[in-house]
Amino acid sequence: MNTEDKVKINKLPTGVPGLDEIVGGGLPEFSFNIIAGAPGSGKTTLAHQFVFANASPERPALYFTVLGESAIKMLRYQQQYTFFDPAKLPGSIRFINLSQVVLEKDLGAVLAEITREVEKSNPAVVVVDSFRTMVRKQESDMDLQSFIQRLALFLASWQATTFLIGEYAEDELRDNPIFTVADGLLWLRQTAERNSIVRKLQVIKLRGQDSVPGLHTFRITDAGVQAFSRTFGLTARKRNPPSNRRLCFGIPELDKMLDGGVREGDSVLIAGSSGTGKSVLATQFIAEGISHGEPGIVAVFEERPEAYAERATSLGLDLETPQKDGKLTILYLRPLDLSVDETMQSILDAVQKIGAKRLVIDSLAGFEMALSPGFRADFRESLYRMIFALTGIGVTILSTVEVDESFTEFPFSTYSISFLTDDIIRLRYVSIDGQLRKIMVVIKMRGGNHAKDIREYEITSKGVVILGKRLANYQGLISGIPVHTDRPNLTDEPSQDTGIEDKT
Amino acid sequence: MTAAPGMRDLAHRLLTYEAGLGKTSVPTESPATRVYEKLRQSLGEFVGAAGFQSLASRALTLARTGTPSLDAVTITEDGSLQGLGEIENQLETEKDQAGEAGIILIARLLGLLRIFLGEALTLSLLRNAWPGEALDDRNSENGRAA
Repeated sequence: MNTEDKVKINKLPTGVPGLDEIVGGGLPEFSFNIIAGAPGSGKTTLAHQFVFANASPERPALYFTVLGESAIKMLRYQQQYTFFDPAKLPGSIRFINLSQVVLEKDLGAVLAEITREVEKSNPAVVVVDSFRTMVRKQESDMDLQSFIQRLALFLASWQATTFLIGEYAEDELRDNPIFTVADGLLWLRQTAERNSIVRKLQVIKLRGQDSVPGLHTFRITDAGVQAFSRTFGLTARKRNPPSNRRLCFGIPELDKMLDGGVREGDSVLIAGSSGTGKSVLATQFIAEGISHGEPGIVAVFEERPEAYAERATSLGLDLETPQKDGKLTILYLRPLDLSVDETMQSILDAVQKIGAKRLVIDSLAGFEMALSPGFRADFRESLYRMIFALTGIGVTILSTVEVDESFTEFPFSTYSISFLTDDIIRLRYVSIDGQLRKIMVVIKMRGGNHAKDIREYEITSKGVVILGKRLANYQGLISGIPVHTDRPNLTDEPSQDTGIEDKT
Repeated sequence: MTAAPGMRDLAHRLLTYEAGLGKTSVPTESPATRVYEKLRQSLGEFVGAAGFQSLASRALTLARTGTPSLDAVTITEDGSLQGLGEIENQLETEKDQAGEAGIILIARLLGLLRIFLGEALTLSLLRNAWPGEALDDRNSENGRAA
């Protein structure tokens, strides 16, 4: 049987931003799905989003409510979401209350009632909420299994995509006949981690198509459920072939050190301690891009966009005009309690919106601090996924990271993330001739022939300016306490101050 | 506490519409009872019989304030209305007063729906039970006055 002979399964939009990507493009038409999770985890909201996205007057949705939340209150609350369109009720979406049937009769009567309504309305979507309250009644396992199978068979035959919503604990997953029958099983979790609430969803099962495995963060806002795929929606995008194009900083001596600039699509790390000019370099990088017609994004965590732009102005760099022209977006991401994935999604959305070619993350430490405590453990992994995804589509990322200055070590990053960077530029203070000066060195440049020189630089009103030639007359510069090679016995360490004035 | 003017007007429109239908068929119930019964059928589908019964009981309690004739009216367990027809017959010589009691009860019920569901959704649900012209402003007190 060739591909053309195989049945094509239509995929229905879930109506949940980000979820289509997770479930492999949409939920299979006519599938029998279960949305499971604890109370308050967003099951009903998710089902409503699907219903509002797919119901039409010709093929309406039937939403059966059972015991539990009163239908009138459910509608009262659900209509607060922006996706809720009152005009769709009751022509396209009908809510039918089965409480009385469930209370007074058995599962057979419930099935008969559902059957009657489905045959009458020819629905495209059927939801039973909450299904769990029906099966808590005293029925034997055989009755329940028979009921589920008959319901699934009937609704599939009537070409309805079905959702059963149920409150289940995770240990109920095993040996449960309901889950065996289901084509799709979405599990919503909500846990408290330290002071934060962490919501995650998992596609435990989805017949007929590939879904993105693992736990995906989601959030419930006034727009309803929004899911954040672990792959950031970029799985379908082909990775760009490696580019040989170089992106400059606009600092001639530094660009020479980088053999013409950083390679397009690279991930660049600028590491240094406080005040060494990491943000200045990052600003010059983004401004240089804009001057060459390359839109940019700056994600800041430690200062507000206005302050960031103002500081650029003091360096003679105009970041106001490109913001107005849509060539630059400065994202201020300091909302505590955000998951790492949704923070990264904000960055990705901004990148895609203006077609950014350069992205600055200033800084990684600020980024991590902006996250909900429960997500900090995932920071490195998520950062890796985002960098991999963005550089794959040709975006060049420059991240700054603050490192503790040490006079015995020369660390590149406290995050152990150098493995996910292509290029590393290290800035540090050195003590020379009784002055605290700054030096810069290109540590690593993947696939490039970078300079090995250690160069002194200053931060001036024109930004970072590299001074003179390499510091050839010192040894141990990277220790921060160099020895002058012309005066080998003279380090820059001050002589011990005894506190006694030398009167000789 | 009286029914909101908008809801009173809407109730009046529905009763007027039902009264108009009664002229072309043999009416067995008053317009107010017919409006109430349509609401019970339509809303009962999604709130359930018990849900509708609760709403209707609350509406009746609110409507009784200032309308003592409604004291004889009751809501049964399945949400049906009992006694409105009787008071309408008793007040045959005072038709306006009888009609007023029905309007107030329906207005209270619609008012509760608006409080819980908002105006847009309430009107959407009413359109399921009545065609568009029944909700048309021309059938309102204001519309006729104009």
